[in-house]
Amino acid sequence: MKKSRVANIVPAIVLLAALVSCEDIIHPELESAPPVLVVDAWINNKPEPQVVKLTSSQPYFEQVVPRGVSGAVVTITDNHGTIFPFVAENGVAGNYVWTPLPGQGFGSVGDSYRLSIQVNGELFEAPSYMGRVPLIDSLSFTEEVWGAGTGRTEPFANFWATDPDGKGDAYWIRSYKNGVPLSKPSEINMAFDAGLSIGGQTDGVTFIRPIRVRINSSDKNADDESIPPISAGDSINVQIHSITVAAFTFLTELRIQTDRPGGFQELFSTSLANVSTNVVNRSPVGTKVQGFFNVSAVSTGGKRYVE
Amino acid sequence: MNRLLIAAGLLLLPFFAFAQEKFTINGTVRDASNGETLIGVTVFIKEIRNGAVTNAYGFYSITLPAGAYSLDYSYVGFGLESLMIQLDKNIQQNMELTPETEQLKEVVIQAEIEQANVQNMEMSTNKLEMKTVLRTPMLFGESDLLRSLLLLPGVSTVGEGASGFNVRGGNVGQNLILLDEAPVYNSSHLFGFFSVFNPDAVKDTKLYKGAIPSRYGGRLASILDVRMKDGNNKRVEVTGGIGSVFSRLAIEGPIIKDKMSFIVAARRSYIDVLARPFVPILQDGGALNFYDLMLKTNYNIDRRNKLFLSGYFGRDVFRFDKTQGFNWGNATATLRWNHLFNERLFLNVTGVYSNYDYALQFGKDDRDKFTWNSSISNYIVRPQFTYFINSRNELNFGADVTYYTFEPANAAGISNGETVNLSLDRKFNLESALYVGNAQKITDHFSIDYGIRFSNFQYFGPGTVYYYGDTTAGVRKPVIGSRQYAEGEAITSYNNWEPRLSFRLQTGDRTSVKGSYNRMVQYLHLISNTTASNPLDVWNSSTNNIQPQLADQFTLGYFRDLTEDKQYELSFEGYLRYTYNQIDYIDGADLLINNFLEGDLLSGDGRAYGVETYFQKKSGRLNGWVSYTLGRSELQVDGINQGQWYETRFNQTHNLKIAAFYDINKRWSASANFVFTSGTPTTFPTSRYLQQGILVPYNYNASRNNVYLNDYHRLDISFRLEGKKVRKGKERKNSDYWVFSLYNVYGRKNPFSIYFSQADQRVPAGQALQSQASQLSIIGSIVPAVSYNFKF
Repeated sequence: MKKSRVANIVPAIVLLAALVSCEDIIHPELESAPPVLVVDAWINNKPEPQVVKLTSSQPYFEQVVPRGVSGAVVTITDNHGTIFPFVAENGVAGNYVWTPLPGQGFGSVGDSYRLSIQVNGELFEAPSYMGRVPLIDSLSFTEEVWGAGTGRTEPFANFWATDPDGKGDAYWIRSYKNGVPLSKPSEINMAFDAGLSIGGQTDGVTFIRPIRVRINSSDKNADDESIPPISAGDSINVQIHSITVAAFTFLTELRIQTDRPGGFQELFSTSLANVSTNVVNRSPVGTKVQGFFNVSAVSTGGKRYVE
Repeated sequence: MNRLLIAAGLLLLPFFAFAQEKFTINGTVRDASNGETLIGVTVFIKEIRNGAVTNAYGFYSITLPAGAYSLDYSYVGFGLESLMIQLDKNIQQNMELTPETEQLKEVVIQAEIEQANVQNMEMSTNKLEMKTVLRTPMLFGESDLLRSLLLLPGVSTVGEGASGFNVRGGNVGQNLILLDEAPVYNSSHLFGFFSVFNPDAVKDTKLYKGAIPSRYGGRLASILDVRMKDGNNKRVEVTGGIGSVFSRLAIEGPIIKDKMSFIVAARRSYIDVLARPFVPILQDGGALNFYDLMLKTNYNIDRRNKLFLSGYFGRDVFRFDKTQGFNWGNATATLRWNHLFNERLFLNVTGVYSNYDYALQFGKDDRDKFTWNSSISNYIVRPQFTYFINSRNELNFGADVTYYTFEPANAAGISNGETVNLSLDRKFNLESALYVGNAQKITDHFSIDYGIRFSNFQYFGPGTVYYYGDTTAGVRKPVIGSRQYAEGEAITSYNNWEPRLSFRLQTGDRTSVKGSYNRMVQYLHLISNTTASNPLDVWNSSTNNIQPQLADQFTLGYFRDLTEDKQYELSFEGYLRYTYNQIDYIDGADLLINNFLEGDLLSGDGRAYGVETYFQKKSGRLNGWVSYTLGRSELQVDGINQGQWYETRFNQTHNLKIAAFYDINKRWSASANFVFTSGTPTTFPTSRYLQQGILVPYNYNASRNNVYLNDYHRLDISFRLEGKKVRKGKERKNSDYWVFSLYNVYGRKNPFSIYFSQADQRVPAGQALQSQASQLSIIGSIVPAVSYNFKF
């Protein structure tokens, strides 16, 4: 975190070298590799259908939607022995869906869960746990400097919530602008006990500032110029998802590997490495698997910006 | 401890065994033009075909049976001085050497004969002449000590934008950089574009890559020993320069003539001042600059006592606006006392304070901000004795005690008015060493240098210590317990013996073979998992969880003068180094402000080997060198690359450097350097997959550093125009010169890194994300520069 924040200002400041540095899109030859099973199972307690998505990895430069993996038997079992069956969705290969009774959501805070996937004669399993989540007190809009050094300010959305006392609460804050999920790598926004990292010392306080405002979009127009995050009439919706410590680590790694804005931030970047997984192949000589299983409790809040 | 005393006793034994009437000649050798002491002057005694070399304080001492002797004092770039003496009592013989001028060229060649590497005991050592540094303009036309160092065999860098340098496949944190004996923890300004040393204030630079004498310790790969000028003790002198990026000014002169002198040298970059009218950030309180100050004074108390006080202060400042930004810098202070007990026993006691720190501040206002500073500071006491036993033995012994305080994070976050203290415990350590070493000429053709260093490292309270459980290699280790230690309570202690041995065998008039073995121990660790080292890397001590790093290095070299006049020298040197307890990091390691950092560290072994080839033409209108290193540097760490050996990020198979200097006429001279290095290893993915709408790169084989970046090559050219020596028929009192330089002449885009990412555009649900690879070049074009330099 601190690292990426530090690095954020570097491209703006190193004018000197910016005069001469340059970046090119290249097309290197890559080693080929067989596909592996990818599990995308982020389940929450909102009263809506929950999806476990199974796909195959693809060659890095294959610019198509990944192929779904069909024919799997997918269930989640809680620590009381309750089994939640996920059934193949018609027409969308690889999607397995559990639909709650009207008005109800998946699971309860404090329970633990085991995902089980049987496919192609192999058994894959992953553990999770539904942690607590604080309510969102409110959203507000504040004027923030936009475009470093221009002196210009623009409205930014903030959310307000307080982490409950007691260490070990991890959250993924997911935001939506006019119903569109903000899901770029640079928009991944996590909190650990209201702070930024596991080894930090925060606890039981208001979510700290970079987290509060990291719910805004970063987009560019057709001329590759940044556009302000909020205009009149925009509605911002924020969801806090409780996540496991393992999921926090997973998202940390995911962000390190995927949020690569280039330029001088590369001086602070680390080697490419595989993001971890909590899915285990129980078969003796098993094939590889990637992806993650997490069960979240969710709190939501939203606000429309009026000038 | 007992074993050490016995070893010392055995070493000393032979020198007290004979008794014949002997006398000592000793003294200090200085530059006649400014009184600077000269380091490494050869004092050659023709009658015994043997001699001595002046030490870091310009002092030499030779003990011989009574008789008549003729002495030659010689030093590169200085005229030879000869002397006849009748040694029938102890003689103090100071000497002043005169810098060469055009007319003295003949003498120069003569002088260099005795300097030749072939005859020299040392191996794996490069002395970088300041004259050479000043003649080698680098980026933006500025001469720079570290960037010149990169032209030597066995020294490399990951690329522009990387702080520090790599020696023989070691990492940046494995070099001990000493400025007047004070450790410098970050040697770079502006992310490695410039080094922290102002060349105007540096007298002498020596890099030890192997055969490291027992008086040095604490790092695995190399020792860079930089000595500041003492200051002109004859007259006031001002040197300076005005360049494209910064200006520099140095003033030196006598305080008491021939007894006390001083030097003050300062630099300040001003790119931000120049750019202010055009860049709004800079008008809003933003800043981008660095500055440094070096100062030194010395006092010749009497024939037996000298005092030196020197200091360095440097800082880089990056500010985003009035309140947000970061800065870092080194500060050092060194006090030294030279004392001559008798004609043969020389003592230098050094006291050092050194500090490196950085500070960051972010936030909107006082209700919401984040501040963090981190530092490493140390206090050193180092008594060093040299006993000039006789013309065949020089005994060095002494002690080295360092007290460290590490402040990994003194940090606070203020969120909506609530302050959260994010600080981590400070760490306290004591590193002590005793050493003894003897350079012994066994015959005229065979000499050995042997020694041993005993080092001890203590980690003590106050502080909380964490214990970690075992887990799958490569995964974050769980905390299984902790213990609070009281102030001064011992937590962990390490002891190590570090044997050092080297030999030289003169196999002919113009050839010699040299070899060495040394063990080095390193108790401090530079914690960095980024592509290149950067100023925010944190130093950490050895603890109950982090073992000291060890290295065993073997070298073997062949040195040859190609011609009778010893103008051309060729050498080959092979090295093999095994390293242990090398640190690497789990994927996703959190290295900053993390109480449980040690759970994210992995430990493994390393090996580095290679051959360095060096060809030098020493003088003439065209001179210079070609250096080629074939090498490899690898690590094996459980949890990385499936536990298999992998190449380090700074591994370079081929590393070729050519440096050439040419005098066009009396006023114009040119220099050129060319660098070619193999692309460094990096990791490419094989596959991609989606997770919650994010495109994730994936390497099926979980390999590390499985491909190479493109080769790096670069040509720099510069021209130097000397100002007129004579104006209106009169000789000018001051001198000046212009430097016109071109860096990266053919504008090659040398890759710093290649990274993989998803395209930035938002993609509607159901459509495929676009994956891409980008290559970043820090310097992607030719960089021309002009500077004006003066001296009066």
